[in-house]
Amino acid sequence: MAVLSFSASIAEALVLGLATGPVCVASCGPVVLPWMLSQPQGVAAQSRQLALFLAARLAGYLIFAAGIWAAGASIPRSWMASSWVFGSIRILLAAGLLVYAAGWRRRRCASAGRPAALVQIGVSPRPKVEGAFALGFLTGVNFCPPFLVAGVRAAQLASLPGTLLFFAFFFAGTAVWFLPFVSFGFLRRTPAVVTVARMTAALMACWYVFTGISSLIERAVYG
Amino acid sequence: MASISSVPRRPAAYRGIGRSLLLTLPIALWSLLMFSRAFQQPDRAGWAGAIVVMLFMTFLFFMMMRTGTTYRWRRYFFVALGFLFPVGFIAALISVRGTMSIPIERMVAGDTPFCFMVIPMLIVPAALTRTIIFPGSILPTASNPHSIAVMIGLWLALSLVVGKAWCSYACFFGGIEEGFAAVARRPRIRRIDPRLRLVPWAMLIFIVALSAALFEPVYCTWFCPFKTVTEFARVRSIETAIQMGIFITLFVALVVVLPILTKKRTQCAFFCPFGAFQSLFNKINLFEIRFNRDKCVDCTLCQSACPTMAISADSVREGKTLLNCMKCGACVDVCKKDAAVWHLKGTRVALKPERARLLFLYGAWAMATMFGGSILGNSLATILHFLPWK
Repeated sequence: MAVLSFSASIAEALVLGLATGPVCVASCGPVVLPWMLSQPQGVAAQSRQLALFLAARLAGYLIFAAGIWAAGASIPRSWMASSWVFGSIRILLAAGLLVYAAGWRRRRCASAGRPAALVQIGVSPRPKVEGAFALGFLTGVNFCPPFLVAGVRAAQLASLPGTLLFFAFFFAGTAVWFLPFVSFGFLRRTPAVVTVARMTAALMACWYVFTGISSLIERAVYG
Repeated sequence: MASISSVPRRPAAYRGIGRSLLLTLPIALWSLLMFSRAFQQPDRAGWAGAIVVMLFMTFLFFMMMRTGTTYRWRRYFFVALGFLFPVGFIAALISVRGTMSIPIERMVAGDTPFCFMVIPMLIVPAALTRTIIFPGSILPTASNPHSIAVMIGLWLALSLVVGKAWCSYACFFGGIEEGFAAVARRPRIRRIDPRLRLVPWAMLIFIVALSAALFEPVYCTWFCPFKTVTEFARVRSIETAIQMGIFITLFVALVVVLPILTKKRTQCAFFCPFGAFQSLFNKINLFEIRFNRDKCVDCTLCQSACPTMAISADSVREGKTLLNCMKCGACVDVCKKDAAVWHLKGTRVALKPERARLLFLYGAWAMATMFGGSILGNSLATILHFLPWK
């Protein structure tokens, strides 16, 4: 009986993830899109970046799941209190995007005077593993409608492993929808494409700063 | 920087009057057809508006034929469209609603007039969830004939015919900044970072992604400078007040001040995401501007004259404009060596460029008359209604 119930909740998580995946893509797209566009050309390189991003997102999901399980029945109050958390997460996300968006200047200076053949557009001296990971983790713990649905359902589960598994399978369902992002590997990386990607990241960062600060002000004013 | 009006390339009379009139005849007939509905109305102001616009459009086309130049005459129409569109639009809003702001209940009822600017933002949500994220009606209604389906159909058909020339022959916003850009004799700001040309593409990705995430047309809600002179959400909260502040700031900066200082269409060149989206149609459109390398002396006059920085030194070397070329004709008119030419894809460069220009202009001017001409006619009729002699 317990096995049946467990299988049912796993299947439910997977189906929920698959069903709400488009909304997840829409929510994380503003971060993933400029990041992937700025990364080196090729399906293998893009797959690696996407895998890192998703792994970090999974880590974010599981931490969130643990929090949800701990909050348990007092979930409505914890949502109220969490506007501080979500506001701060958005500002951190903006900081991450801004650091990466400003990176082109540093790289341009670093490559100044070098033979053109040695300067590859979009490839930094060190692989940008941290970037994909940081952005993936921050989007993983960020609030979005499918997350709320999964959170409410997971909070009803009795055990911590059950909640973690529920979120892991929910994640697996949503992750399928991210696979088309690998196709950006086919897009030719010209200086213009990389510059546009960085500009987009900067614009997105401004948006997250605005919404993050608005959220914090709202919390400070209305409690 | 070369001023278009100060560098006449061709002699005053490029064609004879008779031949020019003959070439203008199709446009005159088209204008008559377009405005024939106005003459069926009892409204005398509507008649007068239609007659004036019909003559205006036909005269401008005649002058294009007679002088062999394009930019100057197109600009008269385009600036008139830019400045008169808000007159008619605001008057209509005030007569129907009593205010320029749109109340939330009208939005919910789907009474928001559709604007083509929103089109790129509709695609992802429509593809993912089969939902149109605009508070308008999909099919035309009695209160809102400019429905989503009608406007998208019209825009798509015209874009296939003229490509990005939509932005210089049909857009009812671009004329305002083109008018301000024409105010100063010389630009105060000459050096503009060419990377700014890429901002519209970044804006396009930004608003498309964010619109999908938030499920609302983000550009219209937060970033459209032209909300200042059209309609906007009623200011009822701090959020709507901030939005209004952004609209006004962007309008003043990008549509008024910077065009005067740079003599460029700064909003179109460095901000408009719809313009970037529209550039994609240049890939499939038949008409383009090319540079005949045998004649080009790299004087850079064309680069200075281009109102949207759609020509770079590299692109001239390749004999092409950049993807964001609006086919306004400024570069062709200013070129003293006849190196910049109108071109029909699939033919040899500089092989009968005037024929390519004519073919393009018939399509573009027919669109301008149909789309902009009707707006001009309505706006003029609105103004005439307010005159005391009526």
